Amino acid sequence: EIASIRNQLQGKVAEMENFAGHLEEIFLTVEENFGRQEQHLEQHYNDVLQTLSQRYDDRETGLQEEKKSKLESLYKQLVACGQALDTSKELIETAQEVYRCQDERLFLKVAQLGLLRDFFFLEFAKEDIDLSLSTSLEFSTPLADLSDVKTMMDSINVVPAPSAPVINPQLPNSATQTSLHVCWSLFSDDTVEYYELYYRPVLEDTPADSTLPSPPAIKQRECSSCPEAALIRWESGNTNPVDSYIVELSETGTVVAVPTCQCLIQLQAGRQYLISVRAVNIGGPSDRSDAITISTTGTFFYLLEDTAHPCLSMSEDGFTIFYGDEELPITAMAFEDNTFTRCVAILGDLIPVRGRHYWEVEVDDETEFRVGVAYEDTERDGYLGANGSSWCMRHIRTPSRHKYEFLHNGWSPDLRITVHPVRIGVALDYDRGTLSFFNANLEQHLHTFHCRFHNYVHPCFSLDNPGALTVHNGIQAPDYTFI
Amino acid sequence: MALTQVSSNKCAGGFQKVFEHDSTELKCKMKFAIYLPPKAETDKCPVLYWLSGLTCTEQNFITKAGSQLAAAEHGIIIVAPDTSPRGCNIEGEDESWDFGTGAGFYVNATQDPWKTNYRMYSYVTEELPKLINANFSTDPDRMSISGHSMGGHGALICALKNPGKYKVTSCRVCVRPHLRPVRLGGGSPSAYDATVLAASYSGPQLDILIDQGRDDQFLSASQLLPDNLIAVCSEKKIPVVFRLQPGYDHSYFFIYSFINDHIKHHAKYLNA
Repeated sequence: EIASIRNQLQGKVAEMENFAGHLEEIFLTVEENFGRQEQHLEQHYNDVLQTLSQRYDDRETGLQEEKKSKLESLYKQLVACGQALDTSKELIETAQEVYRCQDERLFLKVAQLGLLRDFFFLEFAKEDIDLSLSTSLEFSTPLADLSDVKTMMDSINVVPAPSAPVINPQLPNSATQTSLHVCWSLFSDDTVEYYELYYRPVLEDTPADSTLPSPPAIKQRECSSCPEAALIRWESGNTNPVDSYIVELSETGTVVAVPTCQCLIQLQAGRQYLISVRAVNIGGPSDRSDAITISTTGTFFYLLEDTAHPCLSMSEDGFTIFYGDEELPITAMAFEDNTFTRCVAILGDLIPVRGRHYWEVEVDDETEFRVGVAYEDTERDGYLGANGSSWCMRHIRTPSRHKYEFLHNGWSPDLRITVHPVRIGVALDYDRGTLSFFNANLEQHLHTFHCRFHNYVHPCFSLDNPGALTVHNGIQAPDYTFI
Repeated sequence: MALTQVSSNKCAGGFQKVFEHDSTELKCKMKFAIYLPPKAETDKCPVLYWLSGLTCTEQNFITKAGSQLAAAEHGIIIVAPDTSPRGCNIEGEDESWDFGTGAGFYVNATQDPWKTNYRMYSYVTEELPKLINANFSTDPDRMSISGHSMGGHGALICALKNPGKYKVTSCRVCVRPHLRPVRLGGGSPSAYDATVLAASYSGPQLDILIDQGRDDQFLSASQLLPDNLIAVCSEKKIPVVFRLQPGYDHSYFFIYSFINDHIKHHAKYLNA
């Protein structure tokens, strides 16, 4: 009997331990959830406060402007009254003078003619004197529209819907005739109460969705290359989901399988490759896409149109940018999230491969430009070189001479260059952490930045005055650029 | 011409040596320093001539400038001559620090009693290169010239007066040729004035690098006039990159800080 009691007690202990373990888990989950809720709440309230602050600023500005316009119109009235007063005074004085005049006959004549005329004038003028106030003394106070703030406040209490879970690929031997092992994971900070699993059988002999996919289309202007690699991007070409893509190099027959619509593929320097892509789904692979030619001589990139300041226009081939003479009104400028808003600048495509890269920029004698590199997140409302996320060479043209700056964080060394470069070589060395500038026509070194790049960079270009510049790339770096 | 080795020290994988010889131009015994990089043991190397400033000898540059590592890396021989003839017993030669001994200004004097011995221009541009090419493993077609202060100016005038002889030139600080060379009587002052020479230069393209310390006391005393030179070079389209270095003065600490940049600048052409 003691044994059975002992067993019972042991059982209870095990249960308790289990329970304690469970409680601990729940405790941790609660902590986590609390943390998330707290963050979420803070974010939300911050948004509301920002909106309110913005509204306050707007209203205040509105009131200021109203005050200003009221004061102006009152002042105008004051001036007009003053003038009318002066005119009247003059008339009175004239009348008095005439009155004091000794020649009575003359007086009468003049008086009749003059005074009558002036009297009429005065009467006439009187009509213009409006003695009512031009503006009301009250301020118009429109009702503040805080409806969106209200909506934001209301939504604070709403828990956001979670994002879609991701089903893991099926593991081998995870199914039997009558059962299936399904695994999924949630890649977000969402709070989840439960999951719902849906399934539907797919008939093997006539699979409705398993026709061959269509071939993808390579996006020519979004591909870039350098001596050791090429970055290829394409459009899926299919509305139905595609499992994966196969990138093929015709030269070597190499084949690479990738899950997304882009691929960084390793190549050998100084060669030419024909690259095409196929889409693959459950039915098999598609036909080949149209091929793209990649040349691994030098570094090659296109300019990113969606980063261009609205005042910049691009040539057909995409390598010359123009800053036109006409002043675009602010309202005509379409600023997007990614465009530069102050500096009339544009970024080139990212250079995502370590090692050395070289390109040239062609300018003329008068062009005021900035040329260099910048991180992807460089401030779009800043000027190239004025912050810590960009490095550039800057040319300023004064009536008497040329000035040059090599800017980073707003600082430049003090130097003079006697021959103006019209073809600038830019040499980037990720491994050594240097960015050098050359007068390519003279093979003359101008300046080198020493900087440890902690991320890949984009080439960047800007025009500080109307003018144009042309980017030349795909050029093998001359020997003197990387001594 | 017989060379006597005065000293030899292993340095940066190569050898820093000093030699003495009888100079026919200067009519006295002259010393010069020469750095031989490791590459000189097997190959013919290009030569960089370094001209030092007022009061220096062949010793200052080789002990203070830290040039040997860069010279070894790029495989360049560096020759640093003395700054004037010595022991000539000319009256007044030791009177002032900026005239006479230690102050040859790299010109050929035309007046007595200086004109017999003070022919530093010919010594540097003719006698010394012949001597070096005959005695060391050099590539006689690849020479360049550089210098500091009086030597910087000297380097400029040697390059400007000898189009095509020097592949490239650079200098730290160039002294304006003021009264002194006129007393030495180097022809008219303009014959040895870099600014004047630049204005009338015609020859193969140069590539000049000039570093100037912003806190250089000679700069603030207007003894150096880089602006004139820059203006002339801009007009004549002589490629110059002139850098004003904040905080740096006239000393060898300044030379040391930028010698690597200058040797790299020379290497670009000497090793092309």
